Amino acid sequence: MTAPDTPPADPAVVAGATVAVNAVSKWFGQKVAVSNVTCSFGAGVTGLLGPNAAGKTTLLRMLTGLILPSEGTIAVLGTNPRHHPATYRKMALVPEENAVYANLTARALVRYSAELSGVADPGAAAERAIAAVELDDAADRSVGGFSKGMRQRAKVAAALVIDPEVLILDEPLNGTDPIQRLRLIALFRRIGDEGRTVIVSSHVLQEVERMTDRVIAMVDGKLAAAGDITAIRGAMADIPYRVKVEADDPRRLASALVASDTVRGVEFDDRGVRVETTDLRSLGRRVTVMAAELGIRLRAFRPEDDSLESVFRYLVHRR
Amino acid sequence: MTAVLRLATTTAGQVLGLRRFLGLVALALLPALIVYLSTGRASDASRLETFAGITVGFFFGIAVPVIALVLSTAALGDERRDQTLSFIVLRPISRFWIAAAKILAAVTAAGGVAGIGALGLGVAMGLRHGEWGYGIPLVVGAVVATAVYGAAFVPLGYLTERATLAGLAFVFILEGAVAGAIAALASVSPWRIGLSAFAAISPRGVLAFIPSFALGNVVPGVGGAILKAVVVLAAGTWFTSWILTNRDLV
Repeated sequence: MTAPDTPPADPAVVAGATVAVNAVSKWFGQKVAVSNVTCSFGAGVTGLLGPNAAGKTTLLRMLTGLILPSEGTIAVLGTNPRHHPATYRKMALVPEENAVYANLTARALVRYSAELSGVADPGAAAERAIAAVELDDAADRSVGGFSKGMRQRAKVAAALVIDPEVLILDEPLNGTDPIQRLRLIALFRRIGDEGRTVIVSSHVLQEVERMTDRVIAMVDGKLAAAGDITAIRGAMADIPYRVKVEADDPRRLASALVASDTVRGVEFDDRGVRVETTDLRSLGRRVTVMAAELGIRLRAFRPEDDSLESVFRYLVHRR
Repeated sequence: MTAVLRLATTTAGQVLGLRRFLGLVALALLPALIVYLSTGRASDASRLETFAGITVGFFFGIAVPVIALVLSTAALGDERRDQTLSFIVLRPISRFWIAAAKILAAVTAAGGVAGIGALGLGVAMGLRHGEWGYGIPLVVGAVVATAVYGAAFVPLGYLTERATLAGLAFVFILEGAVAGAIAALASVSPWRIGLSAFAAISPRGVLAFIPSFALGNVVPGVGGAILKAVVVLAAGTWFTSWILTNRDLV
């Protein structure tokens, strides 16, 4: 364990940390992927949030020992796993890329994972892990024929089979359908509630929000914000989000939205309305109510990615 | 140790996919087929000359290196291409044993396929020449050669996406042309090391028909060949382990 004795003041650092990142940087040639990041992770779920290319995957790969930091130190359960492979008995990664043996069945893949990690009864452990991700019906099918969402679940099962104390998931909800997503989120929360360390990266704020209250946000390789998600939301309150709302009568919807106090600006075209707001959640409710009152059919409501990115950049400057 | 063996057996199964296996077995058996078909009415001396020529020029010079190249570069190269490296390295197994398992798998797979070809050649000579003693020496030579190739080509498969091209350049330019012309370089040629083991324990008479450029300055001897293979295997395992430990696994 690398926990400090007293509760730390920096919200990026937690007491009783199982995973500690100390002044870590990583560069590939001239490109700086992670810059001087210090943070730690403890029991429960922590979201690692940031737009694409923020350095999340690089940080997770350094935590697992897949890549070496250019500067700084990493400790997982008190050791650097790269140099102490026994740590891998207690930690597992669900990588973002496909990373599965397409010719194996899901059951064989999960069992193989258990055998490579020296799990005592690999057959029984594999069955438990497959059941946990609700893949029983497809367990004897080749992973190569799976949808992306099913592959994600097979990868999660291959990680869970070793019963890890530290579980690292890189964009685990990519490609999953809404029902699978809800189930996986519930599963990750349950694992976190058992006192294990679960680190989940995502570029979607709403996804992370459903999993955890604690977030570490990154942008451009730097730590943008850390701590309670409500506090981060508060820090974000000063700057507007941009949201694209697609509807069958954007002109009328735009007229109605202009009067709303949660809206800072509105633009519209033939397909929809682009709204600037500082309160995403209220806007969502307001748009739904307005559309129902005006008889307008909504097709989509989505924050624009570059909007989220600008929020993160703003937070980096504030730190 | 169970996990290491599981990694080795699974890797051997993965590199020997059905189509790859059938294609390489066909290549391995081609020298036997040529010997069988071309020595039907030949005299004993002519038959031995043909056998020695095919064994050196085709079996050891082409089939064994190509089989070893394809299967050895796939042992780690396929994992990198398919992005499954994290699946095997994030395990409570040291990088040294991961490297050892990969090389063991490559050598077993390549040695097995080349061994089928070697036994085929032995059977062809048994049927045509009445001498059944060539098979086992050919297997020994093929396994020694594939072991040396495996130790070199497994890390090559990890280091570059163009491992097959680099390996072919090594086999056909350095081993084939340069080492054939400069006798002193023959000792760094894996197939010549295998050939030296075969030449040392094969039935008498065949050595006289092996062209001088083939062995170069390599003295026939099974003990020396096996010792060289063991040293190269140890060095290859250490090097593979080193790159798995010191390079970013991306």
